[in-house]
Amino acid sequence: MDAINNLLQIIGDFIAGIINSIFGFSPLIADLVVMGLAAVILCTFAALSFMGLTYAERKVVARIQDRIGPNQAGPLGVLQPIADGIKMFTKEDTTPAAADRWVYNLAPLVIAVFALTTYAVLPFAPGVVGTNLNVGVFYVLAIGSGSIVAIIMAGWGSNNKYALLGAFRTVAQLVGYEVPMLLNVLPVVMLAGSMGLIDIINKQTLADGNAGIPFILFFPLSALVFLISGIAETARSPFDLLEAESEIVAGFHVEYSGMKFALFFLGEYVNALAVAFMFATLFLGGYAGPALPPYVWLLLKAAAVFSVLMWLRGTLPRVRIDQMHNLNWKFFVPVSIVHLIIVMVLLKLFVTDAALQQANGGILVGPGVQMAILFFASAGTLVVSLLLVARRARITRLAEEEVLAQRRAENMATVNA
Amino acid sequence: MTIQQLIFIALTVVVLGAAIFVVTTRNLFRAALMLIVSFFGVAGFYVLLEAGLFAVAQILIYIGAISILIIFSVMLTRGMRGMIPRNSQAVASAVVVAIVFVALLLLLGPVRIAVDADQIPLVSLIFRNTSPREVGQIPWSYAQSPQTPDQLLGVPATYIADFGRSLVDISQYVLPFLLIALMVDIALSGAVHIARQRRPAEVVAERQEVLQENEEERKLIEAADKKEAQALPETAMTAASEH
Repeated sequence: MDAINNLLQIIGDFIAGIINSIFGFSPLIADLVVMGLAAVILCTFAALSFMGLTYAERKVVARIQDRIGPNQAGPLGVLQPIADGIKMFTKEDTTPAAADRWVYNLAPLVIAVFALTTYAVLPFAPGVVGTNLNVGVFYVLAIGSGSIVAIIMAGWGSNNKYALLGAFRTVAQLVGYEVPMLLNVLPVVMLAGSMGLIDIINKQTLADGNAGIPFILFFPLSALVFLISGIAETARSPFDLLEAESEIVAGFHVEYSGMKFALFFLGEYVNALAVAFMFATLFLGGYAGPALPPYVWLLLKAAAVFSVLMWLRGTLPRVRIDQMHNLNWKFFVPVSIVHLIIVMVLLKLFVTDAALQQANGGILVGPGVQMAILFFASAGTLVVSLLLVARRARITRLAEEEVLAQRRAENMATVNA
Repeated sequence: MTIQQLIFIALTVVVLGAAIFVVTTRNLFRAALMLIVSFFGVAGFYVLLEAGLFAVAQILIYIGAISILIIFSVMLTRGMRGMIPRNSQAVASAVVVAIVFVALLLLLGPVRIAVDADQIPLVSLIFRNTSPREVGQIPWSYAQSPQTPDQLLGVPATYIADFGRSLVDISQYVLPFLLIALMVDIALSGAVHIARQRRPAEVVAERQEVLQENEEERKLIEAADKKEAQALPETAMTAASEH
């Protein structure tokens, strides 16, 4: 049982042992080879999960929309991603005559690199992590902003007006949704007392290694806004305005074909999976869980989050650009700031650590009570803000209806005359 | 040569190479992109100094925000192709920059030079009776603590917490921190003000246009209503009341 639980770690130690015995003459070279191998394995994992995710998403969305989905290549169409890959490789690699060649060709690489770099800090099991950065959360969000640069490069380098429009939309959307994302990671960081992902998971784990209270029960509002902002950050439906086919053909990647297009596709899916992993780590307790091995728990949680993303993609229509920005700047950002202030006060007021209570004052409560207080505060903020928005919307609607009624009355008067 | 030194040299080559490309290329967009590469190199320096927080902040702020802003201002500038990155002030500004750079290096850098001010003709007029003195006496500079590299203290593990506390500590950096916040605020509202400012003539023209459009719309509605009323008065009235 122990061997199954620590399977990844045992395999890693085994490989590291072999490499250390080969490069025994120089520990430096051995370390470099081990790290390089780990990077290759992480990137391969991400790329392979991209293949699985495209298939899963096509199947699930097809089922939601009452279609069958891919079913020709292999049993149930499981070989479809491989067929797609072969098709991508055989396509002609075109470059527009007026393109900025360097920028145009570099853009897909940059987006893939930024997408894959995120995985360096994700913890998959105890001890199985690329690098335990003490600013892990911050790192993931910062690297996420790098993909904006790649999309601008693609939009500008293609020398195509639709591509450039897509790039313009990207910046407005991605820069905007970074704000609520950061604001809603902050409560988690404050409660965990660390920006390191492993520390955050440890905070959601009990001392005996079993799952403690996940942070989604502390901050339901943060979890909701983080998920929606995450969808917007990765530009997935219903926030896929930067590649809206019906409006701007395909946006920033309209001029790309073959493997370059596939790299953009890879970037999108790998980023979406990273959001799922981040959500699982920040709000669902990461790899902590009973009975099953930790990596299985993490994959299950990430898969659950990703299926929510697929579900949304299959059911929701694309939002309008003004609705998207209104949602962000007029709802998410103010609500997140208010929520942050409430959480700050409550975290100082109700402490679980006796030493902290001695030092700073406050009321000493158990973790369960703290959870209950924060849950009601967070959910209450959400409900109150939604009620306020609904009230505002009703006032606007009534005023509009009044104007309409007045106009109708005038029209009636004209008719009668 | 240690691996750190190798990485440092590689990073320096990247940063300086990208910076030189930025100021010599004729394509402004590529210049902005190379500026991003340069920023990345600086983030690498932070990593080398074991200051992960500042490396990540460098990426988030300089690459995620400032570069995007620069790229946008480049995109919205007309006639950006084939510009010559030199003008008549190039030589003069190069000289000024060189002088300032050397002065900063002497004042803040690790180089210690004993200067006898009385021996230098012009300087002796200003700094009389002060020589000989050493330049480079800023307390935090390398020069004050003559340690070999392996004696230098590493970054303390609590540097993030220390940094955070220093920003809210009355006796440290709370005032500069608040002033910067105020300055950014002023810059933001100034930008909004400039963006919203329009010439009076434009405002008048816009208003007239809106009025005209409203008038046209009203006429169209009236015409449609009349037509409907003439054709089927009963149906139109019931339809209107039903709505």
